[in-house]
Amino acid sequence: MTDDKDVLRDVWFGRIPTCFTLYQDEITEREAEPYYLLLPRISYLTLVTDKVKKHFQKVMRQEDVTEIWFEYEGTPLKWHFPIGLLFDLHASNTALPWNITVHFKNFPEKDLLHCTSKDVIEAHFMACVKEADALKHKSQVINEMQKKDHKQLWMGLQNDKFDQFWAINRKLMEYPPEDSGFRYIPFRIYQVTTERPFIQKLFRPVATNGQLNTLGDLLKEVYPAAITPEDGEKKNQVMVHGIEPMLETPVQWLSEHMSYPDNFLHISIIPQPTD
Amino acid sequence: MAEVEEQLPLSPQDGGRGECGEEPSDGGAAVGVAEAVPPSAGSPVTEEPAEDTKKKIDVLLKAVGDTPIMKTKKWSVERTRTIQGLVDFIKKFLKLVASEQLFIYVNQSFAPSPDQEVGTLYECFGSDGKLVLHYCKSQAWG
Repeated sequence: MTDDKDVLRDVWFGRIPTCFTLYQDEITEREAEPYYLLLPRISYLTLVTDKVKKHFQKVMRQEDVTEIWFEYEGTPLKWHFPIGLLFDLHASNTALPWNITVHFKNFPEKDLLHCTSKDVIEAHFMACVKEADALKHKSQVINEMQKKDHKQLWMGLQNDKFDQFWAINRKLMEYPPEDSGFRYIPFRIYQVTTERPFIQKLFRPVATNGQLNTLGDLLKEVYPAAITPEDGEKKNQVMVHGIEPMLETPVQWLSEHMSYPDNFLHISIIPQPTD
Repeated sequence: MAEVEEQLPLSPQDGGRGECGEEPSDGGAAVGVAEAVPPSAGSPVTEEPAEDTKKKIDVLLKAVGDTPIMKTKKWSVERTRTIQGLVDFIKKFLKLVASEQLFIYVNQSFAPSPDQEVGTLYECFGSDGKLVLHYCKSQAWG
């Protein structure tokens, strides 16, 4: 019988085969070969693409290189969204490898945040962890930790060290024995087609009658359009880490086992593929 | 630094005139919600109506440390206004140089992403009918 803890490892070690190609209008001194890389689902583009940058900079002149940014089929990819979320949202039902275009010019100011150093990624990551704990524990757990514990979360993510990360993160997944779960569940629901960036609301893991709320309950509450009506055709996939969890799954369980390292459940609503 | 083409989207609540021509919202009396409370599971399901995104939420800005204090602290802000938009507005209001940093904090504990919408922050972290945000020229809570 699979242990629930195995899910934590499966989530952590998920990878997406990606092919990086330099944008055709970039000025190069030689032909730029595509670069292949397995991207960790749980990480961030600018954290894991140093080799990509080096590879393409080798064929470019120094003066033509400004901040790197990535695009998929014309859509700039937000580096501050986890890689797995970006893939699920934009490309999960397309053939692998994921084809990403690399740019060094014309940074799209309106679409992307700047990422001038790893410190920016760390600051963003920690802010998300803090926001998640504000929802789960009124920030009590994260605030009780020492700075070195916060650093360990970041280093664990940066260096792909599961045990180092979870030694600290497990504390963020605890709750008082008298409760059945967190205060509120940190989640964000994304859809490519809508204007709004994502849906994030207060949602309790336990109903007033003491029953555990499910993924279906969450959707009914905050995004009912995502649920297939009784006799209707399934129009959407509700995806987390590349899979569609059963709607009967308790959100408390999902939060503990399928959150990203930032402690948020990032959920994608994408069109049902027509096979 | 390019001027904001649109009207500054914040309207003051208590008398002070912002740089925009918008009217101050009435009173600023908080509607008495003790804390943002989610509807219990099983309550009637509603699709969020379009008007909600046009509605404004109340923001209370508090200075941290030796950061200059805004003369007008309470503002009505469109839900879709981003944190970056708010930062730009505060900087302009306080006559800070564009290159100066300004950090915004929620619950005195985390700094939301610049592209985060204030409406979402209000939904999750608002209390007494408003969203309290602390602003600082240096990092206050990391």
